[in-house]
Amino acid sequence: MPSGHRSIDHTADLALEIWADDLPALLVEGARAVLEILTDHATLTAVAERTIELDAIDDEDCLVRWLNEVMWLALGEGFLLVDADLERTEVGLRGRLRGSLDARALVTEVKSATYHDLALVHGPTGVRAQVVLDV
Amino acid sequence: MTELKFERIDDYRVRIPQQGGMRVPGLIFADEQMMQVIKNDKSPEQVANVAHLPGIIGHSIAMPDMHWGYGFPIGGVAAFDETDGVLSPGGVGYDINCGVRLLRSDLRREDVAGRLDELSLAIYKSVPCGVGSRSELRLTKSELDDVLEGGAAWAVEQGLGTADDLEVIEEGGRFAGARPRDVSDRAKDRGRPQLGSLGSGNHFCELGYVAEIYDHEAAAAFGLEQDAITLLIHSGSRGLGHQICDDALHSMLKASSKYGIALPDRQLCAAPLASPEAQKYFGQMACAINFAFANRQAMTHFAREALAKFFGRTQDELALRLVYDVCHNIAKWEQHEVDGEQRRVCVHRKGATRAFGPGHPDVPARYRELGQPVLVPGDMGRYSFVLAGTGGAMRESFGSSCHGAGRRLSRVKAKKLASTRPIFQELRERGVFVRADSKATVAEEIPDAYKDVADVVDVVAGAGLAKKVAKLVPLAVVKG
Repeated sequence: MPSGHRSIDHTADLALEIWADDLPALLVEGARAVLEILTDHATLTAVAERTIELDAIDDEDCLVRWLNEVMWLALGEGFLLVDADLERTEVGLRGRLRGSLDARALVTEVKSATYHDLALVHGPTGVRAQVVLDV
Repeated sequence: MTELKFERIDDYRVRIPQQGGMRVPGLIFADEQMMQVIKNDKSPEQVANVAHLPGIIGHSIAMPDMHWGYGFPIGGVAAFDETDGVLSPGGVGYDINCGVRLLRSDLRREDVAGRLDELSLAIYKSVPCGVGSRSELRLTKSELDDVLEGGAAWAVEQGLGTADDLEVIEEGGRFAGARPRDVSDRAKDRGRPQLGSLGSGNHFCELGYVAEIYDHEAAAAFGLEQDAITLLIHSGSRGLGHQICDDALHSMLKASSKYGIALPDRQLCAAPLASPEAQKYFGQMACAINFAFANRQAMTHFAREALAKFFGRTQDELALRLVYDVCHNIAKWEQHEVDGEQRRVCVHRKGATRAFGPGHPDVPARYRELGQPVLVPGDMGRYSFVLAGTGGAMRESFGSSCHGAGRRLSRVKAKKLASTRPIFQELRERGVFVRADSKATVAEEIPDAYKDVADVVDVVAGAGLAKKVAKLVPLAVVKG
């Protein structure tokens, strides 16, 4: 199935539903959803590259830690992710990221992706996940 | 979980009887009208989930401003036994020691009349706010470690306040047990440029006035006089606290599995209080608590300077004195009476305020006869309340009360509602001048997005958890 995402209403925070063919595509889609929030849908052009490596207990933990990494890169280092090649390793995640360095595009902060109501399901047509962001 | 059962106890209390894996019952402070709203989201289920945690004592408690959070509900209070209990980063939240401080002044409404537009601009320019906001304070790595250990006391040593301020900050503005060496480099990198900045979201700096006094003796002791100008500052530990929470959640997930703690929600991950994992988090949390105390102290200094300059008077002449500074996202060791005996328990307050009653040794000497000041901000268009802690809170809620109005609308719904309305103009017509770094933040924070804080306060007052002292009305609000 094609990748996609939508916001789900949540009183205090913001919940995202994300779907894609496989886990790496889902992670990239989730990152795009987060960047849409942080920049209010700004158009971003990739001009820089980064590599990342992080450990994760399982796929759900991997999603939360990846989204937090993406937010740190944006809010802490001014690297706004546009695209990524990701590989789920035995211990976590490895990836090469491409992004914009235009930190002026940031319009809001998100504190963190959370483990609350976290779900990630591998089905016959792809992967689907739900994650709540603490804003 | 199957559908929760509720039992109304009286006008202000609802019990969630023990069911499923709950170790204790839940206790929600709310009237029936509020309960109908509360039941629309998952926050009652979250109260029940917290009751599953090992070593929880008494009840899993929620205040009337409760709403759906992550892990713990916002507005949740839970105390844990020293031997069998756990420490849960999700029970503290991402914004560790998010809190509120109130300053009073000798200025009167007539002093600011007709000048609110320029006054709001002066405050806006003095207090850094918005996404990734940073102040002019530049800290070296070792200075940051001093902040993490020293809290507001560090700020006062740097000339950002007075010793008098420290007497009226919860914990004296310095939380013991900080372990800066256990805080990750990333958390320190996130925090270092941000000391002395408001941030975004629901944080604010608000100039207002005392609109009504309910308890003249307590108001006089707190330095609050009718029509006097006040300043409220709401902020927390910025990126440093968020990162410490992130780091801790990851290690606590492993700890929960190691110690066999069954979790109805992974965000509730926890470790036994005596475990090395919990002790490490406690030391990290203490660092974030101290960062937040120093942060609010630095912003107080900036605001005092700006107001002195604006009015052409000295800070002494303005008498912009700190009334109190409360934490509302925290876990602490406290002594409480449980089943007739004094016990040392670890109280988690997530979106709840300490409200110690008269005579408690941790209440500053100048307020001890009256109870601890409890600061309850409302939305930016209506009012906020100053309360005082009571013996009732000591008996029923581990010395806790509500922390604010509580959201009624999601951010998405609030933004949608605000999109067709001239929000700044509407607020100005109510007499409130708003300055903000981002219009989107103001849209998410419109008054309609919040419950009426007067209803929340009426429940805690009716239930005897706190008594009403004064009502504050906003005049100029700075948002991130």
